[in-house]
Amino acid sequence: MTISKVLIANRGEIACRILRACREAGLATVAIYAQNDTGTIFTELADEAFLLEGDSIASTYLDQSQILEIARISGADAIHPGFGFLSERADFAQAVIDAGIQWVGPSPEAISKMGDKMTARITMRDAGVPVIPGEEIEETEEQAALMAIEQASHRVGYPLLLKASSGGGGKGMRSVDDPSQLESAALGARREAIAAFGDGRVYVERLLTGSKHVEIQVLADRHGRTIHLAERECSVQRRHQKVFEEAPCATMTDEIREAMGQAAVAAAEAVKYEGAGTVEFLLAPNGEFFFLEMNTRIQVEHPVTEMITGVDIVREQLRIAAGEPMSCPELSIRGHAIEVRLYAEDAQNNFLPAIGPLSIFKAPEGPGIRLDTGVRQGDEVTPNYDPMLAKLIVWAPNRTEALEKMRRALDEFVVLGCTTNIRFLRELCDQQEVIDGTTDTTTIDRIWPNGWTPSVTEQQKQSALVVAATAESLGLGKTKLQVSAEQNGPVSPFQIISRRFP
Amino acid sequence: MKYQFKGHDEPFSLAKEEMAELLTDGRLLVNNKIAHASKVGDTWWIHYDGHTFQFELVEPGSSATDDDSNLSAPMPGKVLELYVEVGQVVEEGQTLMILEAMKMEHKIVAGKAGTVTSINFQAGDQVEQGNELLEIEEDE
Repeated sequence: MTISKVLIANRGEIACRILRACREAGLATVAIYAQNDTGTIFTELADEAFLLEGDSIASTYLDQSQILEIARISGADAIHPGFGFLSERADFAQAVIDAGIQWVGPSPEAISKMGDKMTARITMRDAGVPVIPGEEIEETEEQAALMAIEQASHRVGYPLLLKASSGGGGKGMRSVDDPSQLESAALGARREAIAAFGDGRVYVERLLTGSKHVEIQVLADRHGRTIHLAERECSVQRRHQKVFEEAPCATMTDEIREAMGQAAVAAAEAVKYEGAGTVEFLLAPNGEFFFLEMNTRIQVEHPVTEMITGVDIVREQLRIAAGEPMSCPELSIRGHAIEVRLYAEDAQNNFLPAIGPLSIFKAPEGPGIRLDTGVRQGDEVTPNYDPMLAKLIVWAPNRTEALEKMRRALDEFVVLGCTTNIRFLRELCDQQEVIDGTTDTTTIDRIWPNGWTPSVTEQQKQSALVVAATAESLGLGKTKLQVSAEQNGPVSPFQIISRRFP
Repeated sequence: MKYQFKGHDEPFSLAKEEMAELLTDGRLLVNNKIAHASKVGDTWWIHYDGHTFQFELVEPGSSATDDDSNLSAPMPGKVLELYVEVGQVVEEGQTLMILEAMKMEHKIVAGKAGTVTSINFQAGDQVEQGNELLEIEEDE
C-alpha cells in the first residue's frame, strides 16, 4: 500500500524530525499533542494537530485507543511512532495494523522477539551472531553449585562476572579476574544472593572491561534487501544514558566493521526485519564483539549515521513503509560526525534534571552544523518529559576537525534561564580519551569519579559579575522578564516566568 | 553601585568606568568578549566566554545562608519510596526517600545525623519543587 498521510505518535525533537521528512516527501501530516505541549514547534510543523485528552503520559502519548481514534478521524493511513513512548510496543503495532493503517516500523513479531532479552539472545545465537558468553547455574546445593560454576568458568572465560540470577542492584555480584579467586567469590555471591533474594542461583558471564558500545544501523525493505549503514560509537554515557555519539568509531577496522555489519544484517534477517533498526554490540579491546540488544525503531543518535553515509534514514523509513524499495546506494562513508545531547540538567550535581524558562536559546551556526531540537527561545522546560533539549551534530572531513568544530559550536551555544550540560559537553571534548578515541563505557566515571565541576577562571567569573551588575544597573532585566503570579495553590519557590520577547 | 549576590560575602561594587558596554541588541561587551544576560526572577543568567553563570540578587544586609538541614524537593515529582518513619534515628548520608521526576529516580539523603521528626509526604504523593519532604532534628 502507498501512504499519503502520516500520524506522528510522538512529540518534541523527534516529532519535528519526522514531520519535516514527511513534508519533504510530500506526505500530509497529523500531530498529536498533550495540553502541556501546546504551542511547541512540532504542533506547528504538522498540517493538522490534535489535542490529546488527559493529563498524564499514560492518558496521552501512551493512550493507544485515543491515538487510533485520532488516526481514524483525521484519515491518516500511516503511523510513525518515533522513539520511546509506543515505538517498541508490539501490541500497538498490531493494533495499528488491525485498524488498516500502515505501521512505520518492523512487524509486531520482530518487536516482541527483540523486546524479550532472553528470546533475543537465543534468536541471535541461533542466527550465528555472537552473544556475551554466559551460563545459568541451576544447581542450588552449595557443593554442586561450586562445581558447576567452576566448569562453566572454563567455557565462559576470564575475567568473569558472577551475578545473582534473581538479583539486581549489584547484590550478589562479584567480578573474578582469575581462577584462584573463583571459589571465595562464588561463595560470597551465593551468600549475598540467598540473603537478598532467598535464591542462591547465579549467572556466570564474561566481564567485558574496557569495552566500547558500538552499534550498527540496519535498514530492510520488502523487496528482499537488508543492509547496514556502518557503525556508531556511543560509549560515553552518564547514568547509562548516552551523551556523546560519533560515526565512524575511532578504533574501527574494515575487518571488524565487515564482520559486525554482517552479524547485524543476520540479526535483522533472523526476525524478518523491516524498516530501520539498530543492533547494539559491546566491542572488546581485542576486537571480539558481542550482541547486546536490538532497538526496533529509529534511534536518537541516527543523525551521525546520516551525516557520514548521506542516507536520510527517516525518509527511507517512509519509503519502506510505502512498500517501495529503499533508495540507498552501496555503503560509502565520508568524513566524521559527532553528536552531543543537550540536556536540561545540572552536571555539577550528579546530572540532576533542571527546569526553567529558555529565556535565551541561541544555537550555533555555520557549515557542518546540524541542530535537531523541539524547543525554541521562550519555551518552558518542565518536569513532564525527558530533559533532552536538543541534539547538536557536527560533520567534518576527519575526526580531529569534527572535534574542533564541536568545541567551537558548543562555545557559541547560549542557553539561559535553565541549567544545561553545555559546559560539561564542551569540557568532555578536551579529555584525552575523547581526543584519542579510546573512550569506553566507563569513561565519564573514570575521568570524574567524584563528579564534574567546570574549570572556570577567577577572571571569567569577575567579568561575568561585571556583566550582571551592569545589566542590573541599566535595568535590562525589567524590560524582558517578569515573574508571573499565575501560580495557584500553596506557595511554591518554583515560579513560572512569563515572557515578552521582541 | 553595589550589588549583593547570593553566596558572596561582600557586595560587588562596580564603578561607572568599569561597566560593560551595552550593544544595540542588548548584549554586553567585557574584555573584548560579548556576553549574554537574562534575568529570571531575581537571578541574572550570564553567558560569558563559553561559561554560564547564575547570580542571584539579594537585598543588601539580608543573610543568604544555606541550610544544610533542608530536605526540600529539588524538583516537582512523585514520591516513589519512603524508607524511614517518624522517630527513626538516621545517619548522615542515609537514603530517606526516592523521588521520581523526569523519568529518573533521585535519592533524598540525610544531610546530617539525627532523628526524623516529621514526614510530610507518603509514597505515591506528588510534590512541588521546594516542598519540604521531611524534617530531621539533630541529636544533642
